[in-house]
Amino acid sequence: MPAIVLDDIRRTFHTTTGVLRRKPKDIVALDGVSLAVEDGELFGILGPNGAGKTTLIKILTTLLLPTSGTARVLGLDVVRDAKRLRPRIGFVLGGERGLYWRVSGRANLHYFGELYHVPPKRLRSRVEELLELVGLRDRADERVEGYSRGMKQRLHLARMLLHEPEVLFLDEPTIGLDPVGARELRDVVGALHRGGKTIVLTTHYMFEADALCDRIAVIGAGRVLALGTPGQLKAGVSDLSVVEVEVFGASPALVERVEALDFVESVVVEQRELRQVLRVQTSLGERAVPRLLPTFDGTQVGRVAVREATLEDAYVRLVGRLE
Amino acid sequence: MIALRVLRNAALLELQQLAVSTFMIFCVLVQPFFIAVTVMFMIRHRPDFDPVYVVVGSALSGLWSVVLFEGNWIVGGERWMGTLELLVGSPTPVMLVIAGRLLGAMAFSLISLVANYAVGAWLFGYEIGVVDPVGFVVSLLLTILALWAMGIFLAPLGILSRMVGQFINVLEYPVYALSGFLFPILLLPGWTHPLSYALPPYWAATALHLTGSGAGEARSLPELWAILVLSSVALVLVSRPFFALVLRRAKVDGTLQLA
Repeated sequence: MPAIVLDDIRRTFHTTTGVLRRKPKDIVALDGVSLAVEDGELFGILGPNGAGKTTLIKILTTLLLPTSGTARVLGLDVVRDAKRLRPRIGFVLGGERGLYWRVSGRANLHYFGELYHVPPKRLRSRVEELLELVGLRDRADERVEGYSRGMKQRLHLARMLLHEPEVLFLDEPTIGLDPVGARELRDVVGALHRGGKTIVLTTHYMFEADALCDRIAVIGAGRVLALGTPGQLKAGVSDLSVVEVEVFGASPALVERVEALDFVESVVVEQRELRQVLRVQTSLGERAVPRLLPTFDGTQVGRVAVREATLEDAYVRLVGRLE
Repeated sequence: MIALRVLRNAALLELQQLAVSTFMIFCVLVQPFFIAVTVMFMIRHRPDFDPVYVVVGSALSGLWSVVLFEGNWIVGGERWMGTLELLVGSPTPVMLVIAGRLLGAMAFSLISLVANYAVGAWLFGYEIGVVDPVGFVVSLLLTILALWAMGIFLAPLGILSRMVGQFINVLEYPVYALSGFLFPILLLPGWTHPLSYALPPYWAATALHLTGSGAGEARSLPELWAILVLSSVALVLVSRPFFALVLRRAKVDGTLQLA
């Protein structure tokens, strides 16, 4: 039985533009999202900024009302049964906020434990267990304002787990973390998944989704663009190869010239200090290189490499179709 | 039992945070001090001058400032810190958490009573004694109850939007005046009197002045206490559906977090 079922969820935000003559404007954040997450599954949601990922998480955690459609978590309707659902779910909304900075990490956990009605005797031992799990035992009595970003994120995880929820929602939990901090956090998420928790995770990091998730939904413009295992999504670009061309001083005109080539699927430019790497998706593989390089005439070219498409390339292809 | 634990923990959290807030220390210590000193200098040569009246009035101004600013800031601060969504997403009613936080703020604000006593007794050398000690303590507790209920009632406005929350701040001085904290409302135009009667702080001030300095005897003490209890209960009862309404609106508008 699915732990989460979304049926044609739509969500519109009303806003206004202008200062004196305000004009009403509707922004569609979710446009008919339907999907199901199985019990015990680690489900990833990928999408560019503004795709609707956070809106979806907030609807599922009873913090936003959908404009239409229904969403059920553990068989409970997120609107009508919100009170019964809240004790059974936990969530982390990403970023450093969401903690009381002027009190200690331990005091934060005790406070939130009370809000989740954890019995006092159990709460004491639970707080110690979780401080141990997230590696904050030695710093637990310091004020949160002195914590690093990674420590705050780990405290968020501990806070989410206080009442032993059945379903976890993690909205970009590793955003802004250094590589070591992000890896430690991923290890904790992986351990929770192996422990049988149902987890919904949103992220911008493809390798993170690839490594952790059982299935992934790619959303863009409020709609589900693709849904499947990382392998299935990658298979969608098995016909593609990626030519990586390192250049010094890639101009917009150069990128436009490359995009205009009939054998080029898409181009992504990555800035690396003084140089840029153009990732060119093509179905020609190595045969594309001799046809591609003349386009770079007049530009200093460094290393050129051809590789197989990854999950990130599949994502770029899906999201690129929206533009 | 769970509700009491939540109230206690929210109050403790509030006290822990206020203890390191310079602005709130200003509200309960510095501002009432200046009000008390100014009023003492202004009216101490009048034949009907009563230092107890000034001390009680100044302390009430400190209590009211804390209720108004902290009640509003609790919600605004929760939103700013990103914890408002966590409260709304927890199984505990948000109203209970805010009520607990306000309780902590009220306990903290009692410092202003001590500070004003110090101004009158030590700085000006007056003998500060209340005419009815038992009645004064009961009136003080009911005053705290009434102002607490008023804080609970006003807090949801801050959830609606930051703009509405900031608008509440302008209520500080009108309520000082309309409630007769430092001078009798008889000095105000007659048309303002119904507004005063509608404010629980007016009845709180009347009870405290009556038991503190013996000033004003329009109503008996039991009547004043009954009005305070009834108005507090009514405010809390009205606040419950008001909270539900405002939270629903916030979940439609998406205003639980900073935009």
